Amino acid sequence: MAETSVITVQEAGREVAYRYLASVEELKKTGQLTRWIDDHDILLYEYEGETKALSNVCRHFGGPVGYHKAKDGIFVCLWHNWKFSCKDGSCLTHPGLPLRRYALKIVDGKIYVDLLGEPQP
Amino acid sequence: MKVATLSAQFQAEMDCPKEVVMWNYYDHEHLVGTHYKLYNKARVLAEKGNWSLVYRSKRMPLLPFYTSGIGFQYMDGNVMKSFHKDSIGFMLQMEADFKDLPNDRCSVTVTYRIDTHPFFKLFEPFFHKIFKRWFWATWEEDAPMRLRRWKVHKLGFKDFSGIEYINKKLPVPEHINAGPYIFDPPVRTSSRIKTIDGEERPFKQSFELGYND
Repeated sequence: MAETSVITVQEAGREVAYRYLASVEELKKTGQLTRWIDDHDILLYEYEGETKALSNVCRHFGGPVGYHKAKDGIFVCLWHNWKFSCKDGSCLTHPGLPLRRYALKIVDGKIYVDLLGEPQP
Repeated sequence: MKVATLSAQFQAEMDCPKEVVMWNYYDHEHLVGTHYKLYNKARVLAEKGNWSLVYRSKRMPLLPFYTSGIGFQYMDGNVMKSFHKDSIGFMLQMEADFKDLPNDRCSVTVTYRIDTHPFFKLFEPFFHKIFKRWFWATWEEDAPMRLRRWKVHKLGFKDFSGIEYINKKLPVPEHINAGPYIFDPPVRTSSRIKTIDGEERPFKQSFELGYND
């Protein structure tokens, strides 16, 4: 990955650093890609006109959720066929084990990701 | 009756501890996932501790049809032994011997053997060719799975949970003490694989974007 830049944005009183993930052009090629960045494996994709990002790490055994191109709004993990919704990362086979969602910013044809986000309980 | 033995042995190395590879060999559910092009159905008929009795339907290289059969497998120390009786009629014995190498690497030696009527000795070159293709076809599909499994383990992955800093939106810890990889069969399952339905592959063709590890 050639780009390594960071953009900083003020959001709800906190300074959020977004890391460069990919270009819009790269994503357009297949509408879906995965990339490791700072020990996060991220699944970036287009769904119903929106650009979205989920964790690419299946919560079952750690398999690659985005190995197969999504079909009918569903990702199927390669290893053991756990299914996840493209809409929000919810797990369709094992409710309660959704994929983490990442916030994105798109600036000048570049897609940036917030790796930290608001901490979850 | 005289018996002839057809055998073939293959060896390869992996950049992960042997326990990761043992987990991969022992896992039944990934047959219709990772190996969806080769297997179309799997079912665990019985399982306890480090042994299992499994039904599988698969397509071997060079054969234009699917064969189904029953396999019994068990761990004997660092060796996985299995016996498969397929619809073709032969009983295949397989031994996978896992050995540690320095620097979190390992080697795997797999021996395939069929004891049969001496007439079939003529077919040993064909037997060798089939199993050479089979070994390498499955190895190439499994290798990235093992490497990724080892990678996420080192990042603190827990089965049926995930990586804590990812899911709880925490900073990546400076030091992650994941500990050694432990293989403790049976592999925990959550699908229909232990039911009468078994587990089928969801599709036989896919647009693959692949691994990025």
